[in-house]
Amino acid sequence: MPDDIAEVYRNTYPALVRFLYRKVWDAERAEDLAQEAFARALVHRPENTRGWLFVVAANMARDEARRAAREKRHLTLLKSEPDAVHSSPEDDIDAETRTKHVRAALDELTPRDREALLLWDAGMSYDEIAAQTGLARGAIGTTLARARRRLVEAYDAGLEGGQHVARG
Amino acid sequence: MSHVDEGTLHAYLDGELPSAERAALEAHLAGCATCRGNLIEERSLRERASAVLGSARPAERPAPPLDQLRREPKRSPWRVRRSFAWAASLALALGVGYYMRSPSGRTAPIADLTEQPVAIAQHRAAETEEERDKSPAPAPARAHDQRRLDEVAAAETPKFDARSSVAAPAPRTADSIRIEAKVISGAVPAAGAPALVVDGIVAQQLAATNWPVISRRMAKSILGEEPVGLPGLAARHFRRVPGTEGTIVVEQAIDSSTVIQIFQRPAYPYDSTGSGYANEGRLRVRGYASEDQARERGNRLFARFVKGLRVEITGPLSPDSLNRLLDQVAPLP
Repeated sequence: MPDDIAEVYRNTYPALVRFLYRKVWDAERAEDLAQEAFARALVHRPENTRGWLFVVAANMARDEARRAAREKRHLTLLKSEPDAVHSSPEDDIDAETRTKHVRAALDELTPRDREALLLWDAGMSYDEIAAQTGLARGAIGTTLARARRRLVEAYDAGLEGGQHVARG
Repeated sequence: MSHVDEGTLHAYLDGELPSAERAALEAHLAGCATCRGNLIEERSLRERASAVLGSARPAERPAPPLDQLRREPKRSPWRVRRSFAWAASLALALGVGYYMRSPSGRTAPIADLTEQPVAIAQHRAAETEEERDKSPAPAPARAHDQRRLDEVAAAETPKFDARSSVAAPAPRTADSIRIEAKVISGAVPAAGAPALVVDGIVAQQLAATNWPVISRRMAKSILGEEPVGLPGLAARHFRRVPGTEGTIVVEQAIDSSTVIQIFQRPAYPYDSTGSGYANEGRLRVRGYASEDQARERGNRLFARFVKGLRVEITGPLSPDSLNRLLDQVAPLP
């Protein structure tokens, strides 16, 4: 196998897992999907491996999310759901709760803003983000600024909401 | 220069501002307290967002070796060719084995091999159409697989019989997954690269000991379901078979000198139109027909479907023993 895929694999695998994790919210599943994306890359040998991987990964995550949504609908019928945003003790919230808050905050972003933010976080350059999202390169800064602001606001609001509930 | 907008500030902070713009921005910042203040604000926002996002990350585990990832992508037409090639080469090996072994009927098997797949392909094409009509909704492959597995489990033997009259014995079970198992002659995987003996003939040099060992989880992930083996025997290794996308081997030792290898692979459904895309998860196997026929004609290589997997055994045991072993293969607990 050519060095470049091996190289990309070394450098990009963790980022791809992270990227996928924030879409499917299941670490193991994210790893599986990332590995499958690379396995496909080995077969397809795309020109731009990194960009290709993220496109494929995004598609797989989308399919995954649809499936998960269907399953969730079934599940919610089966069990009475606890409060959607878990009310945490005031002091330190645990990792699971924090993840839940981040997830809820990310959900507040528009799909495009969220995608740009996740791609940036995965180590993509503005050029790569532009290529993947179809945004103009000049618009990426603005998009990221908006996405970051929205994320932080939504996250803080979520935490406060949780606190209010906790305090009764 | 009027005040700098936040997008430009973020691009600047991200190190993505083209150098000319960056220089202009820095010149402006030097003389504009407002924008310096904004920059500090945006920097802190940027760091905060990064921290928030960073707090939701999976535990980082080491990536498996890249060469262990080789398996078939779900949508590649290339895969069909590869699998077909795999089947064809095996069929050829079997055909050669049969040819060399059988004193009579030297050319018949090979001639048949070329004829039968056509019939199958037509048959499959019709079936694919039918299936397509039945379920237009593009549900994810996984759901299909599950459904097919259920179908398969429910309808294994009768379908086989029903079909054998129509065309070659490409049983419906082939819809999901197949397995092949071979007992490696010489059997001790540590002893170099034993030859695979098919029908008493060295059909293929197997470098089984060099095949990458994979985890069971990986094996399952490649197959899409639990790997199978002989019950009551520990699996010594799971290996990925190089050059055969999606095939794994479960190695089990019957005794200190007899190691069974169970080759198993998903029988990715083929599209009889050859596109491989439109009907993912709904497609029919073809190409294997000749393999099956060759095996039946050769009558010494045993292949069997276990759920959706197929098992085939060769090796240092008698055909009868192998056959009996094969009958016991089941999903590993």
